Amino acid sequence: MAGAEGFVEADNAEAIIIRIEHKSRKIESLLKQGKPIEALKTALEGAPPKTQDERCKSANWIVVHRALMAIKDVDFMFSSLDPEYYDILMKYLYRGLSTGDRPTCDQCLRIHEKLTEKAGLGCILRCLADTVNTV
Amino acid sequence: MSNTLRLYLACIRNTLDAALCLQNFPCQEVERHNKPEVELKTSPELLLNPILICRNEAEKCLIETSINSLRISLKVKQADELENILTKKFLRFLSMRAEAFQVLRRKPVQGYDISFLITNYHCEEMQKHKLIDFIVQFMEDIDKEISELKMSVNTRGRLVATEFLKQFV
Repeated sequence: MAGAEGFVEADNAEAIIIRIEHKSRKIESLLKQGKPIEALKTALEGAPPKTQDERCKSANWIVVHRALMAIKDVDFMFSSLDPEYYDILMKYLYRGLSTGDRPTCDQCLRIHEKLTEKAGLGCILRCLADTVNTV
Repeated sequence: MSNTLRLYLACIRNTLDAALCLQNFPCQEVERHNKPEVELKTSPELLLNPILICRNEAEKCLIETSINSLRISLKVKQADELENILTKKFLRFLSMRAEAFQVLRRKPVQGYDISFLITNYHCEEMQKHKLIDFIVQFMEDIDKEISELKMSVNTRGRLVATEFLKQFV
């Protein structure tokens, strides 16, 4: 049973990585058009669910990171971001904070403060407690 | 630069606010034992995701939570060799008197300068927001203390050298 699931994972991983590459091309084009918020929404949308594969998670993180660093106006971003994205954004923010790279951390800290104001402490707690869907 | 410090401390404060949800939980393996689960890490279902918050390459804060305890480990900014030595000595001085602080851990976690261990008993005796205020205040004061120590070492060194070299003038 575990072996069969292992195979399904591998196939899925390849499919997921191809999907992430498509997504990153779409995001690059959106960023060139000057729409960083749509880019971020696209990046957060197809987040691979229930994948244990580190490569998929890293690939998706790189894409989200690209979109996050392009955001200049944080308040404007929140006015057009739907609440359903708050939890997944918070998870990616913590991943960004753990990298230790100065510009990433600066940007993540800025967004984190505003996101906590909007989404509240429950969002942070869901990040802490969700050991199944890690990012 | 003080803006990043403010954001960093705000982030840590919010995360601690959310993570400090501790309740009493007797040990599952051994009868009549009550241990802080974050230290032992025996059962994965009792642990939450550890969170690492970095301000930059030098400063970071690791927050690990479990059902009855929370561990915060800090790495303080150390610009040069002198600050390195001062930080180590100062924080070792504090850690040796951990009894007086109650929430301080005697030895810092590997890779960090100082660690706090907060258990459900601390939350029952003391107010949660005051505990968080203490930790954040500690982080602010550590930087000031280390710069003060460094300045006093440099001043004293300069005075001693001036006096000593006067005899050769």
